[in-house]
Amino acid sequence: MDEPLLQIRDLVVRYRRTGLFSAPPPPAVNAVSLALATGSTLGLVGESGSGKSSLLRAILRLVPVESGTIRLDGDDWLALPEQRLRERRRAIGVVAQNPFLSLSPRLTIAEILAEPMTAQGRVPAEELRLRAAEMLERCGLPGTFLSRRARELSGGQAQRVAIARALVLQPKLLILDEPTSALDISVQAQILNLLEDLKRELGLSMLFVTHNLKVVRHVSDTHVVMRGGRIIEAGSTEQISSAPAEEYTRQLMGYGRNPTGAEVASARRG
Amino acid sequence: MSLVEIKGLAIRFGSLHNPIHAVRHVDLSIERGTIHGLIGESGCGKTISGMALLGLLPQSARVSADAFRFDGLNLLDVAKSLRGRRIAMISQDPAAALNPVLRIGRQMDDVLKSHSGLPRFQRRAVAEELLAATGLADPRRVLKSYPHQLSGGMQQRVVIAQALATGADFIIADEPTTALDVTVGAQVLALLKRLVQERALTVLMITHDMDVVAECCDSATVLYAGHTVEAGRTDELLAAPRHPYTQALLAALPDAVAKGERLASIEGHIPSPFAVIEGCPFAPRCASAMAVCRQAKPPERDDGNHCWTCHLEPHHG
Repeated sequence: MDEPLLQIRDLVVRYRRTGLFSAPPPPAVNAVSLALATGSTLGLVGESGSGKSSLLRAILRLVPVESGTIRLDGDDWLALPEQRLRERRRAIGVVAQNPFLSLSPRLTIAEILAEPMTAQGRVPAEELRLRAAEMLERCGLPGTFLSRRARELSGGQAQRVAIARALVLQPKLLILDEPTSALDISVQAQILNLLEDLKRELGLSMLFVTHNLKVVRHVSDTHVVMRGGRIIEAGSTEQISSAPAEEYTRQLMGYGRNPTGAEVASARRG
Repeated sequence: MSLVEIKGLAIRFGSLHNPIHAVRHVDLSIERGTIHGLIGESGCGKTISGMALLGLLPQSARVSADAFRFDGLNLLDVAKSLRGRRIAMISQDPAAALNPVLRIGRQMDDVLKSHSGLPRFQRRAVAEELLAATGLADPRRVLKSYPHQLSGGMQQRVVIAQALATGADFIIADEPTTALDVTVGAQVLALLKRLVQERALTVLMITHDMDVVAECCDSATVLYAGHTVEAGRTDELLAAPRHPYTQALLAALPDAVAKGERLASIEGHIPSPFAVIEGCPFAPRCASAMAVCRQAKPPERDDGNHCWTCHLEPHHG
Protein backbone atom coordinates (compact mmCIF):
# COMPACT_ATOMS: atom_id res chain seq x y z
CA MET A 1 0.00 0.00 0.00
CA ASP A 2 1.11 3.55 -0.61
CA GLU A 3 0.37 6.33 1.86
CA PRO A 4 -1.58 5.38 4.99
CA LEU A 5 -4.93 7.11 5.52
CA LEU A 6 -3.79 8.59 8.82
CA GLN A 7 -0.18 9.26 9.68
CA ILE A 8 0.83 10.94 12.92
CA ARG A 9 4.44 11.96 13.61
CA ASP A 10 5.91 13.11 16.93
CA LEU A 11 2.66 14.65 18.08
CA VAL A 12 2.83 16.69 21.29
CA VAL A 13 -0.27 18.10 23.00
CA ARG A 14 0.17 20.21 26.11
CA TYR A 15 -2.55 22.03 28.00
CA ARG A 16 -2.14 25.56 29.32
CA ARG A 17 -0.39 26.23 32.61
CA THR A 18 -2.81 26.66 35.48
CA GLY A 19 -1.39 29.92 36.85
CA LEU A 20 0.85 32.74 35.60
CA PHE A 21 3.92 31.55 37.51
CA SER A 22 3.25 27.81 37.67
CA ALA A 23 5.40 25.43 35.67
CA PRO A 24 3.88 24.22 32.39
CA PRO A 25 2.15 20.86 32.92
CA PRO A 26 3.72 17.72 31.41
CA PRO A 27 2.46 17.04 27.89
CA ALA A 28 -0.82 15.10 27.70
CA VAL A 29 0.37 13.49 24.48
CA ASN A 30 4.13 13.06 24.25
CA ALA A 31 5.86 12.40 20.92
CA VAL A 32 3.24 9.99 19.61
CA SER A 33 3.71 8.52 16.15
CA LEU A 34 1.32 6.08 14.52
CA ALA A 35 -0.04 5.11 11.14
CA LEU A 36 -3.40 3.71 10.11
CA ALA A 37 -3.53 1.96 6.73
CA THR A 38 -6.63 2.36 4.54
CA GLY A 39 -9.23 -0.30 5.31
CA SER A 40 -7.65 -1.47 8.55
CA THR A 41 -8.48 -1.07 12.23
CA LEU A 42 -6.12 0.37 14.81
CA GLY A 43 -6.88 -0.35 18.45
CA LEU A 44 -5.87 2.31 21.00
CA VAL A 45 -5.65 1.03 24.57
CA GLY A 46 -4.88 2.93 27.76
CA GLU A 47 -6.14 3.81 31.22
CA SER A 48 -7.70 7.14 32.25
CA GLY A 49 -5.13 9.90 31.96
CA SER A 50 -3.02 8.00 29.44
CA GLY A 51 -3.66 10.67 26.81
CA LYS A 52 -5.89 8.72 24.46
CA SER A 53 -8.72 11.25 24.55
CA SER A 54 -6.28 14.14 24.03
CA LEU A 55 -4.89 12.29 21.03
CA LEU A 56 -8.40 11.88 19.60
CA ARG A 57 -9.16 15.55 20.20
CA ALA A 58 -5.96 16.51 18.42
CA ILE A 59 -6.97 14.40 15.42
CA LEU A 60 -10.36 16.14 15.44
CA ARG A 61 -8.51 19.49 15.79
CA LEU A 62 -10.36 20.33 18.98
CA VAL A 63 -7.20 21.07 21.01
CA PRO A 64 -4.13 23.06 19.97
CA VAL A 65 -1.11 20.96 19.08
CA GLU A 66 2.34 22.00 20.33
CA SER A 67 4.38 20.21 17.70
CA GLY A 68 4.26 17.30 15.29
CA THR A 69 2.30 16.55 12.15
CA ILE A 70 -0.89 14.75 11.23
CA ARG A 71 -1.50 13.69 7.64
CA LEU A 72 -5.03 12.60 6.88
CA ASP A 73 -6.15 11.44 3.46
CA GLY A 74 -3.36 13.34 1.70
CA ASP A 75 -3.82 16.63 3.58
CA ASP A 76 -1.43 18.24 6.00
CA TRP A 77 -4.29 18.15 8.50
CA LEU A 78 -2.94 20.58 11.11
CA ALA A 79 -2.06 23.22 8.51
CA LEU A 80 -5.51 23.19 6.95
CA PRO A 81 -7.11 26.66 7.26
CA GLU A 82 -10.32 26.99 9.28
CA GLN A 83 -12.49 27.66 6.22
CA ARG A 84 -11.58 24.39 4.56
CA LEU A 85 -11.77 22.43 7.79
CA ARG A 86 -15.55 22.12 7.89
CA GLU A 87 -15.66 20.65 4.44
CA ARG A 88 -12.72 18.30 5.02
CA ARG A 89 -13.90 17.17 8.42
CA ARG A 90 -16.48 15.00 6.71
CA ALA A 91 -13.65 12.51 6.19
CA ILE A 92 -13.96 11.64 9.90
CA GLY A 93 -16.96 10.10 11.66
CA VAL A 94 -17.11 9.85 15.44
CA VAL A 95 -19.03 7.47 17.70
CA ALA A 96 -18.97 8.23 21.43
CA GLN A 97 -19.27 5.94 24.42
CA ASN A 98 -22.77 6.72 25.64
CA PRO A 99 -25.36 7.07 22.86
CA PHE A 100 -27.91 8.64 25.19
CA LEU A 101 -25.51 11.52 25.88
CA SER A 102 -24.44 11.95 22.27
CA LEU A 103 -27.95 11.88 20.72
CA SER A 104 -30.13 14.91 21.38
CA PRO A 105 -33.26 13.90 23.31
CA ARG A 106 -35.27 16.64 21.58
CA LEU A 107 -34.73 15.55 17.98
CA THR A 108 -36.23 12.67 16.06
CA ILE A 109 -33.87 10.08 14.59
CA ALA A 110 -34.53 11.56 11.13
CA GLU A 111 -33.42 15.01 12.35
CA ILE A 112 -30.37 13.54 14.08
CA LEU A 113 -29.26 11.82 10.88
CA ALA A 114 -30.01 14.88 8.73
CA GLU A 115 -27.95 17.27 10.85
CA PRO A 116 -24.48 16.33 9.50
CA MET A 117 -25.77 16.61 5.93
CA THR A 118 -27.36 20.04 6.38
CA ALA A 119 -24.20 21.24 8.10
CA GLN A 120 -22.38 20.54 4.85
CA GLY A 121 -24.74 22.66 2.75
CA ARG A 122 -28.27 22.67 1.40
CA VAL A 123 -29.71 19.25 0.66
CA PRO A 124 -33.29 18.73 -0.61
CA ALA A 125 -35.58 17.36 2.16
CA GLU A 126 -36.49 14.35 0.05
CA GLU A 127 -32.87 13.32 -0.37
CA LEU A 128 -32.16 13.86 3.33
CA ARG A 129 -34.86 11.43 4.31
CA LEU A 130 -33.80 8.90 1.69
CA ARG A 131 -30.15 8.92 2.71
CA ALA A 132 -31.03 8.81 6.41
CA ALA A 133 -33.31 5.81 5.88
CA GLU A 134 -30.71 4.03 3.78
CA MET A 135 -27.94 4.47 6.36
CA LEU A 136 -30.26 3.44 9.19
CA GLU A 137 -31.13 0.24 7.33
CA ARG A 138 -27.44 -0.46 6.77
CA CYS A 139 -26.98 -0.24 10.52
CA GLY A 140 -29.72 -2.78 11.10
CA LEU A 141 -32.72 -0.63 12.03
CA PRO A 142 -35.95 -0.35 9.97
CA GLY A 143 -36.96 2.99 8.39
CA THR A 144 -39.89 3.24 10.82
CA PHE A 145 -37.40 4.30 13.50
CA LEU A 146 -36.91 7.66 11.75
CA SER A 147 -39.85 9.24 13.56
CA ARG A 148 -38.78 8.04 17.00
CA ARG A 149 -36.68 9.85 19.60
CA ALA A 150 -33.57 8.56 21.36
CA ARG A 151 -35.31 7.85 24.67
CA GLU A 152 -37.61 5.35 22.93
CA LEU A 153 -34.63 3.20 21.93
CA SER A 154 -32.68 0.53 23.78
CA GLY A 155 -28.94 1.05 24.34
CA GLY A 156 -28.00 -1.12 21.37
CA GLN A 157 -30.49 0.58 19.05
CA ALA A 158 -29.30 4.04 20.12
CA GLN A 159 -25.68 3.06 19.45
CA ARG A 160 -26.72 1.89 15.96
CA VAL A 161 -28.24 5.35 15.35
CA ALA A 162 -25.00 6.97 16.55
CA ILE A 163 -23.03 4.80 14.11
CA ALA A 164 -25.45 5.66 11.29
CA ARG A 165 -25.00 9.37 12.04
CA ALA A 166 -21.22 9.02 11.98
CA LEU A 167 -21.39 7.29 8.58
CA VAL A 168 -24.02 9.41 6.86
CA LEU A 169 -21.40 11.67 5.21
CA GLN A 170 -19.44 8.63 4.01
CA PRO A 171 -16.27 9.29 6.00
CA LYS A 172 -13.08 7.38 5.34
CA LEU A 173 -12.04 7.25 8.99
CA LEU A 174 -14.36 6.17 11.78
CA ILE A 175 -13.27 7.06 15.33
CA LEU A 176 -14.92 4.91 18.00
CA ASP A 177 -14.42 5.99 21.62
CA GLU A 178 -15.38 3.02 23.85
CA PRO A 179 -18.40 2.26 21.64
CA THR A 180 -19.48 -0.87 23.53
CA SER A 181 -18.51 -0.30 27.16
CA ALA A 182 -21.98 1.01 28.07
CA LEU A 183 -23.68 -2.02 26.49
CA ASP A 184 -24.61 -5.51 27.65
CA ILE A 185 -22.50 -8.46 26.49
CA SER A 186 -24.97 -9.81 23.92
CA VAL A 187 -25.58 -6.31 22.52
CA GLN A 188 -21.83 -5.67 22.40
CA ALA A 189 -21.53 -8.76 20.19
CA GLN A 190 -24.18 -7.38 17.81
CA ILE A 191 -22.46 -3.99 17.55
CA LEU A 192 -19.00 -5.52 16.98
CA ASN A 193 -20.46 -7.71 14.22
CA LEU A 194 -22.12 -4.67 12.65
CA LEU A 195 -18.85 -2.69 12.68
CA GLU A 196 -17.07 -5.61 11.01
CA ASP A 197 -19.73 -5.72 8.26
CA LEU A 198 -19.62 -1.95 7.70
CA LYS A 199 -15.84 -1.95 7.55
CA ARG A 200 -15.92 -4.58 4.80
CA GLU A 201 -18.81 -3.10 2.81
CA LEU A 202 -17.73 0.54 2.96
CA GLY A 203 -13.95 0.04 3.06
CA LEU A 204 -13.72 2.02 6.30
CA SER A 205 -10.62 2.57 8.38
CA MET A 206 -11.28 2.57 12.09
CA LEU A 207 -9.56 3.98 15.14
CA PHE A 208 -10.96 1.99 18.03
CA VAL A 209 -10.36 3.35 21.55
CA THR A 210 -11.05 1.06 24.48
CA HIS A 211 -9.69 -0.26 27.76
CA ASN A 212 -11.01 -3.74 27.00
CA LEU A 213 -8.10 -5.63 25.47
CA LYS A 214 -10.33 -8.55 24.55
CA VAL A 215 -12.47 -6.33 22.36
CA VAL A 216 -9.34 -4.84 20.80
CA ARG A 217 -7.91 -8.26 20.10
CA HIS A 218 -11.11 -9.20 18.30
CA VAL A 219 -11.59 -6.11 16.12
CA SER A 220 -8.22 -4.62 15.34
CA ASP A 221 -5.39 -5.46 12.97
CA THR A 222 -2.75 -3.45 14.80
CA HIS A 223 -2.83 -1.77 18.15
CA VAL A 224 -0.97 0.62 20.39
CA VAL A 225 -0.92 0.81 24.18
CA MET A 226 -0.62 4.29 25.72
CA ARG A 227 0.46 5.25 29.19
CA GLY A 228 1.35 8.66 30.58
CA GLY A 229 0.99 10.30 27.16
CA ARG A 230 3.44 7.95 25.43
CA ILE A 231 2.99 4.88 23.31
CA ILE A 232 4.58 2.10 25.37
CA GLU A 233 3.80 -0.76 23.04
CA ALA A 234 2.82 -0.98 19.37
CA GLY A 235 2.53 -3.73 16.83
CA SER A 236 0.27 -6.26 15.23
CA THR A 237 -2.52 -7.50 17.45
CA GLU A 238 -1.33 -11.14 17.31
CA GLN A 239 2.15 -10.11 18.36
CA ILE A 240 1.06 -8.01 21.34
CA SER A 241 -1.53 -10.45 22.63
CA SER A 242 0.74 -13.49 22.36
CA ALA A 243 3.87 -11.86 23.75
CA PRO A 244 3.20 -8.55 25.50
CA ALA A 245 6.52 -6.85 26.21
CA GLU A 246 5.41 -4.37 28.85
CA GLU A 247 4.35 -5.26 32.39
CA TYR A 248 1.28 -3.02 32.08
CA THR A 249 0.09 -4.79 28.94
CA ARG A 250 0.65 -8.14 30.64
CA GLN A 251 -1.54 -7.02 33.55
CA LEU A 252 -4.28 -6.03 31.14
CA MET A 253 -4.04 -9.30 29.22
CA GLY A 254 -4.03 -11.46 32.35
CA TYR A 255 -7.22 -9.95 33.75
CA GLY A 256 -10.43 -11.96 33.94
CA ARG A 257 -11.33 -15.21 32.27
CA ASN A 258 -8.08 -16.93 31.61
CA PRO A 259 -8.97 -19.86 29.37
CA THR A 260 -9.55 -18.51 25.86
CA GLY A 261 -12.82 -19.29 24.14
CA ALA A 262 -11.31 -22.13 22.16
CA GLU A 263 -10.14 -23.87 25.34
CA VAL A 264 -13.54 -23.40 26.97
CA ALA A 265 -15.23 -24.86 23.91
CA SER A 266 -12.96 -27.91 23.89
CA ALA A 267 -13.46 -28.38 27.64
CA ARG A 268 -17.19 -28.37 27.01
CA ARG A 269 -16.90 -30.95 24.25
CA GLY A 270 -14.44 -33.15 26.11
CA MET B 1 -26.04 -23.46 56.60
CA SER B 2 -25.90 -20.80 53.93
CA LEU B 3 -25.76 -17.20 55.07
CA VAL B 4 -28.34 -16.13 52.49
CA GLU B 5 -31.10 -18.46 51.35
CA ILE B 6 -33.62 -17.15 48.83
CA LYS B 7 -36.21 -19.33 47.11
CA GLY B 8 -38.80 -18.20 44.60
CA LEU B 9 -38.37 -14.46 45.16
CA ALA B 10 -40.83 -12.37 43.14
CA ILE B 11 -41.06 -8.57 43.13
CA ARG B 12 -43.91 -6.79 41.36
CA PHE B 13 -44.84 -3.16 40.87
CA GLY B 14 -47.87 -1.39 39.46
CA SER B 15 -51.46 -2.52 39.09
CA LEU B 16 -52.74 -5.86 40.32
CA HIS B 17 -54.15 -7.03 36.95
CA ASN B 18 -51.23 -5.93 34.81
CA PRO B 19 -48.20 -5.82 37.11
CA ILE B 20 -44.61 -5.04 36.18
CA HIS B 21 -42.60 -8.17 36.98
CA ALA B 22 -39.22 -6.83 38.08
CA VAL B 23 -38.20 -10.18 39.57
CA ARG B 24 -40.14 -13.35 38.74
CA HIS B 25 -38.45 -16.32 40.34
CA VAL B 26 -35.02 -15.83 41.86
CA ASP B 27 -33.28 -18.56 43.84
CA LEU B 28 -30.05 -17.52 45.50
CA SER B 29 -27.93 -19.30 48.02
CA ILE B 30 -24.72 -17.76 49.37
CA GLU B 31 -22.24 -19.62 51.54
CA ARG B 32 -20.50 -17.86 54.43
CA GLY B 33 -17.04 -16.49 53.72
CA THR B 34 -17.37 -16.54 49.93
CA ILE B 35 -17.80 -14.04 47.12
CA HIS B 36 -20.91 -14.88 45.15
CA GLY B 37 -21.53 -13.35 41.73
CA LEU B 38 -24.99 -12.31 40.57
CA ILE B 39 -24.69 -12.12 36.79
CA GLY B 40 -27.14 -10.76 34.29
CA GLU B 41 -27.80 -8.17 31.62
CA SER B 42 -29.72 -4.90 32.04
CA GLY B 43 -33.26 -5.44 33.27
CA CYS B 44 -32.76 -8.98 34.55
CA GLY B 45 -33.53 -7.97 38.13
CA LYS B 46 -30.07 -8.26 39.67
CA THR B 47 -29.92 -4.79 41.24
CA ILE B 48 -33.49 -4.92 42.55
CA SER B 49 -32.79 -8.32 44.14
CA GLY B 50 -29.85 -6.67 45.93
CA MET B 51 -32.10 -3.81 47.04
CA ALA B 52 -34.58 -6.34 48.45
CA LEU B 53 -31.76 -7.82 50.56
CA LEU B 54 -31.07 -4.34 51.93
CA GLY B 55 -34.71 -3.59 52.58
CA LEU B 56 -34.47 -0.64 50.21
CA LEU B 57 -37.43 -1.43 47.96
CA PRO B 58 -39.98 1.36 47.57
CA GLN B 59 -43.31 1.07 49.39
CA SER B 60 -45.07 0.23 46.15
CA ALA B 61 -43.14 -3.03 45.66
CA ARG B 62 -45.01 -6.26 46.33
CA VAL B 63 -42.59 -8.93 47.46
CA SER B 64 -43.30 -12.62 47.80
CA ALA B 65 -40.94 -15.52 48.39
CA ASP B 66 -41.01 -19.16 49.46
CA ALA B 67 -37.92 -18.46 51.53
CA PHE B 68 -36.04 -15.19 52.08
CA ARG B 69 -33.61 -15.75 54.91
CA PHE B 70 -30.42 -14.13 56.12
CA ASP B 71 -28.60 -16.09 58.80
CA GLY B 72 -31.84 -17.86 59.69
CA LEU B 73 -33.83 -14.61 60.02
CA ASN B 74 -36.76 -13.86 57.73
CA LEU B 75 -35.61 -10.83 55.73
CA LEU B 76 -39.15 -9.85 54.80
CA ASP B 77 -39.52 -8.77 58.42
CA VAL B 78 -36.09 -7.59 59.43
CA ALA B 79 -34.23 -6.35 56.31
CA LYS B 80 -34.49 -2.72 57.40
CA SER B 81 -33.04 -3.37 60.84
CA LEU B 82 -30.13 -5.40 59.43
CA ARG B 83 -29.12 -2.76 56.92
CA GLY B 84 -26.07 -0.92 58.19
CA ARG B 85 -25.62 -3.39 61.06
CA ARG B 86 -25.04 -6.73 59.34
CA ILE B 87 -25.55 -5.81 55.67
CA ALA B 88 -23.70 -2.97 53.92
CA MET B 89 -23.48 -1.83 50.33
CA ILE B 90 -20.80 -0.65 47.91
CA SER B 91 -22.22 1.15 44.90
CA GLN B 92 -21.03 1.48 41.35
CA ASP B 93 -19.89 5.08 41.41
CA PRO B 94 -17.80 5.96 44.48
CA ALA B 95 -17.86 9.66 43.57
CA ALA B 96 -21.63 9.65 43.92
CA ALA B 97 -21.54 7.63 47.16
CA LEU B 98 -19.34 10.19 48.93
CA ASN B 99 -20.47 13.67 49.91
CA PRO B 100 -18.41 16.12 47.82
CA VAL B 101 -18.41 18.94 50.39
CA LEU B 102 -17.26 16.99 53.46
CA ARG B 103 -13.78 15.71 54.22
CA ILE B 104 -13.30 11.92 54.27
CA GLY B 105 -12.55 12.13 58.00
CA ARG B 106 -15.99 13.55 58.77
CA GLN B 107 -17.69 11.00 56.53
CA MET B 108 -15.86 8.07 58.14
CA ASP B 109 -16.64 9.48 61.58
CA ASP B 110 -20.36 9.77 60.82
CA VAL B 111 -20.49 6.05 60.06
CA LEU B 112 -18.47 5.11 63.15
CA LYS B 113 -20.43 7.45 65.43
CA SER B 114 -23.73 5.80 64.61
CA HIS B 115 -22.43 2.22 64.63
CA SER B 116 -19.62 1.84 67.13
CA GLY B 117 -20.45 3.96 70.17
CA LEU B 118 -16.73 4.65 70.64
CA PRO B 119 -15.50 8.01 72.00
CA ARG B 120 -14.18 10.51 69.48
CA PHE B 121 -10.42 9.98 69.81
CA GLN B 122 -10.83 6.24 69.44
CA ARG B 123 -13.05 6.63 66.40
CA ARG B 124 -10.28 8.54 64.68
CA ALA B 125 -7.81 5.74 65.33
CA VAL B 126 -10.30 3.15 64.06
CA ALA B 127 -10.93 5.21 60.90
CA GLU B 128 -7.20 5.33 60.21
CA GLU B 129 -6.90 1.62 60.79
CA LEU B 130 -9.80 0.82 58.43
CA LEU B 131 -8.42 3.03 55.67
CA ALA B 132 -5.04 1.34 56.07
CA ALA B 133 -6.77 -2.06 55.87
CA THR B 134 -8.18 -1.11 52.47
CA GLY B 135 -4.67 -0.53 51.17
CA LEU B 136 -4.56 3.27 51.34
CA ALA B 137 -0.92 4.19 51.90
CA ASP B 138 -1.40 7.44 53.83
CA PRO B 139 -4.65 7.27 55.87
CA ARG B 140 -3.98 10.57 57.68
CA ARG B 141 -3.78 12.49 54.44
CA VAL B 142 -6.88 10.71 53.10
CA LEU B 143 -8.85 11.65 56.23
CA LYS B 144 -8.03 15.32 55.61
CA SER B 145 -8.93 15.15 51.90
CA TYR B 146 -12.12 15.94 50.07
CA PRO B 147 -13.41 13.22 47.70
CA HIS B 148 -12.39 15.13 44.55
CA GLN B 149 -8.76 15.09 45.74
CA LEU B 150 -8.71 11.29 45.53
CA SER B 151 -8.56 9.07 42.45
CA GLY B 152 -11.46 6.77 41.57
CA GLY B 153 -9.68 3.74 42.98
CA MET B 154 -8.91 5.55 46.25
CA GLN B 155 -12.53 6.72 46.53
CA GLN B 156 -13.77 3.16 46.09
CA ARG B 157 -11.38 2.04 48.86
CA VAL B 158 -12.83 4.73 51.15
CA VAL B 159 -16.35 3.46 50.39
CA ILE B 160 -15.21 -0.08 51.21
CA ALA B 161 -13.68 1.20 54.48
CA GLN B 162 -17.04 2.80 55.32
CA ALA B 163 -18.80 -0.50 54.67
CA LEU B 164 -16.33 -2.17 57.06
CA ALA B 165 -16.88 0.59 59.62
CA THR B 166 -20.51 -0.44 60.02
CA GLY B 167 -19.29 -3.79 61.30
CA ALA B 168 -21.36 -5.59 58.66
CA ASP B 169 -20.40 -9.15 57.81
CA PHE B 170 -22.32 -9.23 54.51
CA ILE B 171 -21.50 -6.72 51.77
CA ILE B 172 -23.51 -6.18 48.60
CA ALA B 173 -21.24 -4.77 45.90
CA ASP B 174 -23.20 -3.46 42.91
CA GLU B 175 -20.82 -3.24 39.92
CA PRO B 176 -17.99 -1.90 42.12
CA THR B 177 -15.42 -1.78 39.31
CA THR B 178 -17.45 -0.54 36.34
CA ALA B 179 -16.43 3.10 36.85
CA LEU B 180 -12.74 2.21 37.32
CA ASP B 181 -9.87 1.44 34.97
CA VAL B 182 -9.24 -2.25 34.35
CA THR B 183 -6.02 -2.45 36.37
CA VAL B 184 -7.45 -0.36 39.23
CA GLY B 185 -10.60 -2.48 39.17
CA ALA B 186 -8.46 -5.60 39.46
CA GLN B 187 -6.79 -4.13 42.57
CA VAL B 188 -10.19 -3.39 44.16
CA LEU B 189 -11.30 -6.98 43.47
CA ALA B 190 -8.08 -8.31 44.98
CA LEU B 191 -8.74 -6.13 48.06
CA LEU B 192 -12.26 -7.54 48.45
CA LYS B 193 -10.87 -11.07 48.15
CA ARG B 194 -8.31 -10.35 50.88
CA LEU B 195 -10.90 -8.75 53.19
CA VAL B 196 -13.22 -11.74 52.77
CA GLN B 197 -10.44 -13.98 54.02
CA GLU B 198 -9.13 -11.74 56.81
CA ARG B 199 -12.43 -10.59 58.25
CA ALA B 200 -14.74 -13.52 57.52
CA LEU B 201 -16.92 -11.39 55.26
CA THR B 202 -19.42 -12.61 52.70
CA VAL B 203 -19.85 -10.60 49.49
CA LEU B 204 -22.60 -10.56 46.88
CA MET B 205 -21.01 -9.22 43.70
CA ILE B 206 -23.64 -7.86 41.31
CA THR B 207 -22.13 -7.58 37.83
CA HIS B 208 -22.63 -8.05 34.12
CA ASP B 209 -18.93 -8.60 33.50
CA MET B 210 -17.75 -12.21 33.15
CA ASP B 211 -14.16 -11.06 33.73
CA VAL B 212 -15.09 -9.74 37.18
CA VAL B 213 -16.75 -13.07 37.99
CA ALA B 214 -13.72 -15.03 36.82
CA GLU B 215 -11.38 -12.73 38.72
CA CYS B 216 -12.93 -12.91 42.19
CA CYS B 217 -16.09 -14.99 42.62
CA ASP B 218 -16.12 -18.43 44.24
CA SER B 219 -19.60 -19.19 42.95
CA ALA B 220 -22.22 -17.39 40.89
CA THR B 221 -25.88 -17.23 39.93
CA VAL B 222 -27.01 -16.29 36.43
CA LEU B 223 -30.27 -14.35 36.06
CA TYR B 224 -32.35 -13.94 32.93
CA ALA B 225 -35.57 -11.88 32.81
CA GLY B 226 -36.04 -12.10 36.56
CA HIS B 227 -35.39 -15.86 36.75
CA THR B 228 -32.46 -17.77 38.16
CA VAL B 229 -31.39 -19.91 35.21
CA GLU B 230 -28.13 -21.38 36.45
CA ALA B 231 -25.95 -21.41 39.55
CA GLY B 232 -22.76 -23.12 40.55
CA ARG B 233 -19.07 -22.82 41.26
CA THR B 234 -17.41 -20.22 39.05
CA ASP B 235 -14.92 -22.57 37.37
CA GLU B 236 -17.73 -25.02 36.54
CA LEU B 237 -20.01 -22.27 35.34
CA LEU B 238 -17.46 -20.67 33.02
CA ALA B 239 -15.88 -23.87 31.71
CA ALA B 240 -19.01 -25.98 31.26
CA PRO B 241 -22.18 -23.86 31.31
CA ARG B 242 -25.34 -25.98 31.13
CA HIS B 243 -28.11 -23.46 30.48
CA PRO B 244 -28.43 -22.31 26.84
CA TYR B 245 -28.52 -18.66 28.00
CA THR B 246 -25.25 -18.95 29.92
CA GLN B 247 -23.73 -20.72 26.94
CA ALA B 248 -24.92 -17.97 24.57
CA LEU B 249 -23.65 -15.24 26.91
CA LEU B 250 -20.16 -16.76 27.06
CA ALA B 251 -20.14 -17.36 23.31
CA ALA B 252 -20.92 -13.66 22.73
CA LEU B 253 -17.69 -12.53 24.43
CA PRO B 254 -15.10 -11.20 21.97
CA ASP B 255 -12.52 -13.79 23.02
CA ALA B 256 -14.89 -16.73 22.46
CA VAL B 257 -14.18 -16.98 18.73
CA ALA B 258 -11.10 -16.80 16.56
CA LYS B 259 -10.23 -13.36 15.22
CA GLY B 260 -12.22 -12.36 12.16
CA GLU B 261 -15.04 -14.81 12.92
CA ARG B 262 -18.47 -13.44 13.70
CA LEU B 263 -19.45 -13.24 17.34
CA ALA B 264 -22.45 -15.29 18.37
CA SER B 265 -25.05 -12.67 19.21
CA ILE B 266 -28.34 -13.62 20.86
CA GLU B 267 -31.21 -12.79 18.49
CA GLY B 268 -34.35 -11.09 19.74
CA HIS B 269 -35.05 -9.12 22.90
CA ILE B 270 -35.59 -9.84 26.58
CA PRO B 271 -39.28 -10.33 27.40
CA SER B 272 -41.22 -7.24 28.43
CA PRO B 273 -41.62 -6.88 32.21
CA PHE B 274 -45.39 -6.88 31.60
CA ALA B 275 -45.34 -10.22 29.75
CA VAL B 276 -46.89 -13.31 31.27
CA ILE B 277 -44.35 -16.11 30.89
CA GLU B 278 -45.83 -19.61 30.78
CA GLY B 279 -42.76 -21.69 30.01
CA CYS B 280 -39.04 -21.02 30.00
CA PRO B 281 -38.25 -17.27 29.86
CA PHE B 282 -35.43 -17.87 27.37
CA ALA B 283 -37.46 -20.09 24.98
CA PRO B 284 -38.21 -17.41 22.32
CA ARG B 285 -34.47 -16.71 21.85
CA CYS B 286 -33.09 -20.19 22.50
CA ALA B 287 -31.48 -22.06 19.61
CA SER B 288 -32.45 -25.46 21.01
CA ALA B 289 -35.99 -24.59 22.12
CA MET B 290 -38.66 -27.30 21.83
CA ALA B 291 -42.46 -27.05 21.89
CA VAL B 292 -42.55 -27.90 25.59
CA CYS B 293 -40.25 -24.97 26.44
CA ARG B 294 -42.98 -22.46 25.61
CA GLN B 295 -45.68 -24.26 27.58
CA ALA B 296 -44.28 -25.58 30.83
CA LYS B 297 -41.86 -24.29 33.45
CA PRO B 298 -38.51 -26.02 33.01
CA PRO B 299 -37.48 -28.52 35.68
CA GLU B 300 -34.60 -27.85 38.06
CA ARG B 301 -31.59 -29.99 37.29
CA ASP B 302 -28.57 -30.66 39.42
CA ASP B 303 -25.31 -32.48 38.79
CA GLY B 304 -23.83 -32.12 42.25
CA ASN B 305 -22.01 -28.79 42.22
CA HIS B 306 -24.02 -27.01 39.57
CA CYS B 307 -27.76 -26.49 39.07
CA TRP B 308 -29.82 -25.07 36.24
CA THR B 309 -33.39 -25.00 34.93
CA CYS B 310 -33.93 -26.39 31.44
CA HIS B 311 -36.13 -28.87 29.58
CA LEU B 312 -33.14 -30.26 27.67
CA GLU B 313 -31.89 -33.56 29.04
CA PRO B 314 -28.33 -33.17 30.29
CA HIS B 315 -25.71 -34.88 28.16
CA HIS B 316 -23.72 -37.56 29.81
CA GLY B 317 -20.08 -38.27 29.04
